[in-house]
Order: sequence, then C-alpha cells, then structure tokens
Amino acid sequence: MEHPLSAISDHGSAPGIPRVLLGAERVTVDYPGVRALDGVSIDFRAGEIHAIVGENGAGKSTLMKVLSGALRPTAGSLRRDGRPTVFNKPADAMRAGIAMVHQELHLVPTLDVAENVCLGREPTRLFAVAVDRVRQRARARELLTMLGSDLDLSRAAGTLSIADAQFVEIAKCLASNARVLIFDEPTAVLGEREAARLLALLRRLRDEGRAILFISHHLDEIVEVADRVSVLRDGKLVQTFARSLDGLLCDAAGVGVNESRIATAMVGRELGSIYPAKGSALSTEPMLELVGFGARGRSRAISLAVKPGEIVGIAGLVGSGRTETAEAIIGLRSREGSVRVAGREVAFANPRAAMFAGVAYVSEDRKGRGLHTSLSSITNMTLPSLDTHARLAGLRIDSAGERAVTARWIGEFAIRCARPALPISSLSGGNQQKFALARWLETAPKVLIIDEPTRGVDVGAKGEIYRIIAQLASKGLACVVVSSDLPELIGLAHRVAVMREGRMVGELSREKLAAKDCEERIVRLASGLSEVTQEGAAA
Amino acid sequence: MNATHGSHSVQRFLEKWGVVVAFVLLFAASFWKQGFDFLNAENFRAMLNSNSAVGILAVGMTLVIVSGGIDLSVGSIVVLAAALGTTTMNALIGAEYSELNAVLIGGGVTVLGGLAAGCINGSLIVFGRIAPFIATLGGLAAFRSIALAIAEAGEIRSQSSSYFAVLGRGGIPLAFESANAGETPVYSGLLNSAGKPLTLTYSILIFIAIAIMAQWLLSASRFGRHLVAVGANETAARYAGIAVGWVRLRAYAIMGLLAGLTGLMQSSRMNSVSTSGLGVSNELDAIAAVVIGGTSLRGGFGRVWGTVIGVLILGMITNILTISGVSPYWQGAVKGAVIVLAVLVQRGSRD
Repeated sequence: MEHPLSAISDHGSAPGIPRVLLGAERVTVDYPGVRALDGVSIDFRAGEIHAIVGENGAGKSTLMKVLSGALRPTAGSLRRDGRPTVFNKPADAMRAGIAMVHQELHLVPTLDVAENVCLGREPTRLFAVAVDRVRQRARARELLTMLGSDLDLSRAAGTLSIADAQFVEIAKCLASNARVLIFDEPTAVLGEREAARLLALLRRLRDEGRAILFISHHLDEIVEVADRVSVLRDGKLVQTFARSLDGLLCDAAGVGVNESRIATAMVGRELGSIYPAKGSALSTEPMLELVGFGARGRSRAISLAVKPGEIVGIAGLVGSGRTETAEAIIGLRSREGSVRVAGREVAFANPRAAMFAGVAYVSEDRKGRGLHTSLSSITNMTLPSLDTHARLAGLRIDSAGERAVTARWIGEFAIRCARPALPISSLSGGNQQKFALARWLETAPKVLIIDEPTRGVDVGAKGEIYRIIAQLASKGLACVVVSSDLPELIGLAHRVAVMREGRMVGELSREKLAAKDCEERIVRLASGLSEVTQEGAAA
Repeated sequence: MNATHGSHSVQRFLEKWGVVVAFVLLFAASFWKQGFDFLNAENFRAMLNSNSAVGILAVGMTLVIVSGGIDLSVGSIVVLAAALGTTTMNALIGAEYSELNAVLIGGGVTVLGGLAAGCINGSLIVFGRIAPFIATLGGLAAFRSIALAIAEAGEIRSQSSSYFAVLGRGGIPLAFESANAGETPVYSGLLNSAGKPLTLTYSILIFIAIAIMAQWLLSASRFGRHLVAVGANETAARYAGIAVGWVRLRAYAIMGLLAGLTGLMQSSRMNSVSTSGLGVSNELDAIAAVVIGGTSLRGGFGRVWGTVIGVLILGMITNILTISGVSPYWQGAVKGAVIVLAVLVQRGSRD
C-alpha cells in the first residue's frame, strides 16, 4: 500500500507537506503497573528537526525505544515511508534507516576513528576477506567532512573528547545511510561552545533532507533549532508547537511561544522562578580554601575560598579541568598546592578520608560513578554512611534503620520512589540525582562539591534541587557547584569562578552576576575571548 | 502480548530459581532411577562428605566472584598449605614434641599458610594492580610448584598415628547404643550398611557452618555490602567512600584461609599429602558450582545458598552416573553440559 505522500521527494525544496519518513499511530506501551505511553500519534518528516520534550517519566525514552526498535508497543503501530512496519529488534530499525545517537556513546575505545565510523560495514577487498583500509579511511573522511569535522582518522576513539566522540558516533550513523536520526540529549555532556557546534550540525543534517528527532532538557536550544516541538506529559502527547513561515515557534492558534510556555506545557502548571533567593555567608572564616591548588597535569594555581553558607559556582568549558580539580580535592587524583578545611591543612588519600573530614563530592557521572545503578535505592542511599547502620562490629547491618533513613530523605526531598528496594535505575534522572545528593548529606558534610547538579534532570526536579542546595547553604554548608549550565550558575551561585585550560581566569562577584551581561562575560572568559585577571573581574 | 509476557515471567522465574528447579529435577531423576536406595542416608552422607572440600572452596569463591574477581589458584593453595602443615607436623613429631601439640601446630600452619597465600594473591591484585585472572594464574602454577619441590613431587605421609586423622575421618555418630546385648550391640538411629552407627563427619559440619557464615557475611554484613558494591561498579564504590582495595584484599584472604582449611581437612582424611594429586582442578569445580548457583561472573550479585545447591547438583550428577554404571570418562561431558545449561537459563534480563 503506497502512501500518498511518499511520491514527493524528500529533499527539502519539495512543495507542500514534506514527506513523512517515520510515523507512530496510537502507540501505547504498558509496563507492569504503569502506562508509559498512552495512544501517542506522532510523525517525523524529512527536512525537519522535531523536538520531543517532557519531564522525566513523561514517556520520552519509551517513545524512543519504540521508534528505534528496542521495545515493541503494547498497542498501536509504526509506519516507515507510509508503510506499516514492525521492528522486533534495534537491527530492524537500523536496516530501515533509523539510527539512534545514544547519550552514552558506543564507540570501541581501542579502534581508531576511521575503524569506528565504518564499524560493521567495512569496505572490503580480496573477496570480502580483508578490510580495504584505503576506502575505509576515504569513507570516514567523507562523512566527517560532511559533518564539518577534521578529526585525525588514526586517533584511537578512547582518546577523543566527548564532543569529538559524538561526531564520530554521528558519522557512524550516517555510514549506515540513516534517514531518521534520533538524538537523546546530545548536548547534556557538552559545554556551550561544543553544544552550539552540534546544533549547527543538526541543522545541516536537516537541510540534507533527513528527519531529526531531538530530545533535550535545554529549552533554549529547542526554541533555537526545532521546527516542531511535541510535548509529552504522563505518557500522552499534550501539545505540539510548530515554526510558522516567519520563523517563530507558535502554538495551534498561531501565538508565538517561548521557553517558559513550553515548560508550562511540560509541567502542566505555571512555573515561578526556579531559582531560590540567594543567602549570604554565615562566617568570615572560609570552610574550604584552595591555595595554588591543582590536579596534576590537568589544572594548577587555583586559589578559592568558600565560606559556610556560601554557594560558589565554577564555570568553564568541558575539559577546562573543573571536574579534575574537584576530584583532586577528595583524593581521586594526584594534586599540587594545598587544601584547607576549616583552617586545617588536609591531604586526602581517597574519598573516604575526605568524607571523614566532612568533604563530600557528588559526581557529574551519575550512572558510572555517582550511583550503583544495579543496586537498590536503599543500598545506594546508605552506602557512604553505612557505618552508622553497622552493628556487632559490622557483622550486622540494621536494615530497619536503613529503611527509615531512606524513607526520611524520600520525604524530605519529595523523591518519587514507591519501592526503595528496587534497583535505583528504575527511577527517573531527577529522583536518582536527589538520592545522589541525599546519600552525601547523610554523612553530615561541612563542604559539599556538586558536579553538574542537574544534568539529565527535568525542569520540575531542577527547581527542587536548587531549593535543596540553597537551603543547605542557609544552614551553614559551604557549597561548590560545578556546572556547564550558565543560567543555573548565575541563578544559584553567590559568586562564579571561571576556569579555562586548567587555570582560573576570572571570578564574577555577586554584583557582576546580577548584571545583564554576566552570561556573556562568563562565556568570553571561558573561551579565552577576554583575558581578565581575578582582580580585574572582581573589581 | 500475553504470550510474551508469560514467557518473560517464566524466564524471570528461572533466572532466580532455576538452580532450585534443577536440583529438584535431579533429585526426582535419582529417585526414579534408584528408588528408595537413593534416599539412603549413607549414600547421601557419602555424597556430602566427598563434596564438602570443594564445597568450602566454592563458598569462598562466591565471595571473590561477587567482588568482581576470580581465584584460579585455590587448588594449588590447598596442596601447598597441606604440604607445609604436614611437613611441619612431621618435623615436630621427629623433634620429640607431643603428638597432640605437633598436630595442632601443623594444623595451624596449614590454615595460616593458606591465609598467607590468599594475602599474596590479594596484594598482587590490589597493590600490584594485576588482573585477578593473571595474578591467580601465576599462583596456580607457583603454589603447586613449591609444594612439589618440598616433597620432590612425592607424597608426604603423616607421622601422626592417631590425632591427625580425627578431623578428616571423625564425626558425630548418628546412632547410639540402646542396649548392650553382649557380643553384638544394638543401636537406634542411622546405621551404615555394615550395621555400625553412621557418622555425620566433621567435614560436612564444617562445610555447613562455613556456608551459613558466608551467606550471613554476604547478605547481612557491612563487608558483604561492600563486596557487592565493589563488584557491581568499582569506580562508583570508590567515589562512595569505600576502601575498595581493602575490601578486595579481604576477599582473597578469606579465600586463602578457606583453601588452607580445605587442605587441612583433605590431608587429615588421607593422613597424607599427594603433592601431585591433591587439589588438582579444584578451582574449576568451585567456579562451576558458583556459576550453577546463579552468581554473576561479572560480579556485584551472588548468593552462597545457590553455590551450595550448585555443589550438591554436581555431586548428585556424579553420584547418579556412577550408580547407573556410566563410564567416568563420560561424566565430564554431562557436567559440562549442565554448567553451560545453567548459564543459559540464568543469564536472562541482567544483560
């Protein structure tokens, strides 16, 4: 059965409605006890960037799993090029030209760039026995050039930055002739500049007539690039916005929409400012003090003082040494210079020693380092503070006490977790993040270093996490917030230090953060466009 | 959809309880084959007794595997510890020590020798940062080689005439003399085929006690929690403030201690140590039992009770094949098939 629209060319300039490359009709997915998707009908057209937004748990990941063949819907059907189709496994979807660029990149670290791009479809010679390396490199070069990247083809994938690895991953999808590309929060792991480069790439892929499915928590990006925006809430498609002829994103009535309007549609209620009021330092004596500090080989000469009650932000591009510096403080990396906690010189050998001294670090990498995804919420919650539940010299763990503590934090942070004994991976990103934070608060820290506090967290939960951090600070905790999300730093932090290439290149005072041009200032500092000394920025 | 849901839940069930199902099936098969002969207490005791040594190793191996490691050297630790202990004991007896003291010191040397070997393994892995497979592969070769050198590849015969064999051969009688009717005593309780009281050997009791302690350690103690956390994700465990190296070191130390204890039990049972025969391929039997029991070789999940059933399954297979007159050459093929089948059934959704 030929779809009436399939005759139209899928190269952008075709008149009328662009061709629908992939469609879902009344797709419903039931998990035991939960309806994750509820009769969603949606289509993806050639030459269009279609953004899917929604809070965590709204059904975005489930929809993506259905579209990429990882999950069969309970009811409803898919159409590829107008024909009904069934994907039993991801390979079926891939064969139909649908490729997913995962949040976690799937490159083979020991193979080089060219080998990764052509992985699984290597050009061969000698009766398909040998890989034709010359053609392989040519093909990889061709695809990367198309993406506007001039990466060295011989570099091992394991040595690439996340941003470059993402380009290789996209080239890999193109090598399989994908017509529909699904991007799952591609900018979440990127800094501002890399993110802008990626958005430009999305546009370019769209202009070539591909259908782009784009998922992001960054609503500003969505307003910037999406041609259509579909909002999911509680498994239902609640609203669709489309770009009008004059380039504005509009609702069905033709009224222009902005980020806050999209956020309102996602949450289903009006959102106030998500940033809490800023407090002030409770003491003049710094709780955490870095003097000429650095993570060996990654950063140096960093001086910073954080007083009780203060929230100090650290900005910088990905790779500027922010995370490495934080890891060096708690003893995960070799360090230089000195660290003082409450005026006392310390040199932690490992996170355990840091914990005993009251310094806690919440990792940016929630899945790989911050939490044990295969273990239960309770186990994750009590892991750092397990000693308080140990009885009989550790031979017994007071599991009733563990459950009580977990329940207390679930109440305190409004964590949506019906069954804490299940693996924590069953929770949404926001709820996992609250546990990642709560488990360290249970160790009663004096200094809290939070790396990317809201990565992969939806709008509603973001606001709650900000409120929690502000509240902790008001009770005398010294907080360091490392983030790539500038509005977040500006809205939350009392001061923001900016890092570039392992050095601290400037600091923005509270007054500077209140100024209109502060975001631009930070970007200029972080990218090296303006060279400002610490004194200069503070002045 | 219902059908796939159904098969899904069957798979989930087998993933968790497959080992119990297999045990019940095997039990039924044994019963069908041998009738009430199979339920014979003596037959059962013999099976348990002959498998308790590998059973203890398998229990220790469960802890190591949960921590994300492996120990290929356990069979060699068994023979090295036994050789060291028996040699020490013989030397002391030769030096006119009382036999009891010599046996106690020799036994202590055996157990502590095992502990020391386990600590060497753990140190190489933790401080030397050598992959567990490689470090213990080295131990597999080296520990036995030392034992062979001590005895010039021969047998070390115990010079103890009475005390030494008590641990390996003795036990608690399961029948007592109810009436003394002159020449032939009358017993009530469980008897063996010769009409004498059946004994529950110390080997079996030690195996049971260690299995219970290890299950407790794994599921209820702080150390067990740390083992699981380290095995599930070592990096995340380090970030959570767990002393990862210390946790792993202790797993190998416990494994070594248990291998030493096994060496003591085995040498006591034989009243000698065959340096070329004792403990050979024990590590593979232990790993097989752990795998059949449903513990993930990737670490981060495990259960001692599953391992115990795994040991019993392997023991029952040997038992049923032997009684049915199947050539011992074929027994390896059947065991191999069972191991692979166990992994197939249990791999399930954890992938």
